[in-house]
Amino acid sequence: MRKQNGGTFDPRTKLALGMMGIAAVLMTGNARYLVVEFLLLFLGMSLFKLLRPWVRSLKLMLPLVVLVFVVSLLSFSLIPALSLSLRLFNLFTLSFIFFQSMDPQELGDSLRQMGVPYEFSFILTTSLRYVPLITGRMQGIMDAQRSRGIDLRLRLRNVPHFMALFMPLLIQAFVLAEQLAMAMETRGFVAKGRTFRKFYRISILEYGIMVSSLGLLLACGVWGKG
Amino acid sequence: MIDLSQIRYRYEEELGEWVLNGVDLSVSKGEYLLLCGGSGSGKTTLGYLLNGLIPHFFEGTLEGTVTVQGWDTKDLTVSDMITRVGLVFQNAEAQLFNSTVENEIAFGLESLGLSAKEVAEAIDRTASILHIQHLLSRPPAALSGGEKRLVAIASVLGLNPPVLVLDEPLAHLDWEGARKVREVLVDLHRRGTTVIVIEQRVDTIFRDVTRCAVMGSGKIVFDGAPGDALSALLDQRLIPQYPLDPRRKNGEKPVLLRARSLFREIEGKAVLNDVSLQVNEGEIVAIVGKNGAGKTTLVKHFNGLLHSPQGEVSFVGKGIRGIPPPEMAALVGVSFQNPNDQFFKNTVKDELMVGLQIAGGDSGEWIEELCSLFHLHELLEKSPYRLSEGQKKRVAVASILAMRPKLLVLDEPTVGQDGRFLEILAGLLFSLRERGITIIMVTHDMEFAQATAERWIVVHEGRVVGDGSPGQLVKDESLIELGALGLGDA
Repeated sequence: MRKQNGGTFDPRTKLALGMMGIAAVLMTGNARYLVVEFLLLFLGMSLFKLLRPWVRSLKLMLPLVVLVFVVSLLSFSLIPALSLSLRLFNLFTLSFIFFQSMDPQELGDSLRQMGVPYEFSFILTTSLRYVPLITGRMQGIMDAQRSRGIDLRLRLRNVPHFMALFMPLLIQAFVLAEQLAMAMETRGFVAKGRTFRKFYRISILEYGIMVSSLGLLLACGVWGKG
Repeated sequence: MIDLSQIRYRYEEELGEWVLNGVDLSVSKGEYLLLCGGSGSGKTTLGYLLNGLIPHFFEGTLEGTVTVQGWDTKDLTVSDMITRVGLVFQNAEAQLFNSTVENEIAFGLESLGLSAKEVAEAIDRTASILHIQHLLSRPPAALSGGEKRLVAIASVLGLNPPVLVLDEPLAHLDWEGARKVREVLVDLHRRGTTVIVIEQRVDTIFRDVTRCAVMGSGKIVFDGAPGDALSALLDQRLIPQYPLDPRRKNGEKPVLLRARSLFREIEGKAVLNDVSLQVNEGEIVAIVGKNGAGKTTLVKHFNGLLHSPQGEVSFVGKGIRGIPPPEMAALVGVSFQNPNDQFFKNTVKDELMVGLQIAGGDSGEWIEELCSLFHLHELLEKSPYRLSEGQKKRVAVASILAMRPKLLVLDEPTVGQDGRFLEILAGLLFSLRERGITIIMVTHDMEFAQATAERWIVVHEGRVVGDGSPGQLVKDESLIELGALGLGDA
């Protein structure tokens, strides 16, 4: 399923499985079942050797999950807080597996094959591809500002300082967008009659997996309510 | 093949100022033209004219005519131009927007509606010319700077345009990347492609071209054989004439910064491997090495942005572990490569004061001195975003110095800068040293490092492989064989 292995599934199959996974997590309200779901995801990550990058991604995931837990604990009680934060954690993990297993271009190609206009699928895939670049730029800006005495640690008193992070980032994003538009234009993005070289075919096995997963999802729905 | 006649152009937002002001230029088939000029001379704008981005993408006022293969570019769209003139942009990151190198080359060919077979053949042909077959399945983001540049060239070369225009193709590259790109351009020219290179650093590519045009203030001030261009290049200060170092004293100096046994691993790869060094008070030290050698990662340990899991960094004898980088700014100032990473205020004056205001300091006299030293008085009320690249760099470095650090670290200060700025920067480094500031610069610009630094620390693949005077190190053939130094090719 990993993109590094050449992508054994049709991207549309991956997309469908990902959507069903998200639906399953959203349908599950019981914290115990959410733990079971997480264990299944964990097993999947071990099988596809995704554990190390997943652990690295926790740095971004955990602060938000903890925030949701604290806020819901203060607003409700322990059980709903656990349930909400676990659900969010599972959603993050599932999205992580989905994006690790599928290249943005594959996603764009599959959407196009499903009838989404090329311009929209291209915008989506390009946006996804530029996320790591923007993240890198953000790190560069943080280093530059901290090096001249601007404290960007997560403290209440530092909130006004974050202008020093967001302003350069915003401006650089605009400049990059303009440069990208120029580069696309000079390689004929707007020309009519584009060739599409990649077409995918869903195998019988994949149909089988999708139908089984759908069945499991429906069973999960009944189980979750029970 | 290309004719520009009586060209005047100004961008919509720059009312009154003509970026190009009376340009006449003809380029014949099979020429290899170097179009050079300092920052703000109008050379990039001229590149946009050649492939129709002006007048079709940029709004502004255009006078005169541009014809390519007999066609007025006003009568063609940018899409019509893609098989006539290929433009390789300076920023490879914006040009490479596909998932693999193969898709990158294919993008333009797919725009033309060619069959899958034709696309595949063109990809193979292009990759073979540029010797990048081994990169075809790799994502462009994972490539080195030199490889990215080659892929950017491939992405337009696939369309087989008879004219190839490259905007600063050697910027950001070390000597190894620059050599590869130069070899490719010479080969393309030999195969019959008309090549136009737009550059502000002319030292190496100058040897390859058949013709040289020098720009200044929106005009072409010289056009002729490269051998006759020297005086125009010197006039426009495109070949820097560095000031002589007024004071290079040897002798015992107290240690200011000491790094001991630094290690760092990124994604399982050792970026720093047992690095130890020391910098003494009053020195100008250059940390030199190829791109990716670990130089920038190393200096991030000097102000606590990074901490090595082993070893330590001490400043004036005291370990810096535990001191957050904002507090370190008053001791060690680090100015990174891109000045745009710093700017967020409306005026240069506010940019200079920002660190001090946060720290609650009052150093009005020091700021005044910095403004005089960096010639910033006339810029104080201007927006930092509206400055030239050289001015931006001056403001960025001055804003670091506003915190009055004892040690200034400059990360690749010469990248993207013209010869005029390099001369100014060299003079500034000497003046700062006179004021008691020790300087470390990270660079792959051997020429600048030779002109300014009294000591080099050579970093290669995460290790210090040389430490001494530039005069000794440049003669060390083992370092050149190792690839740690690349004199004469940068």
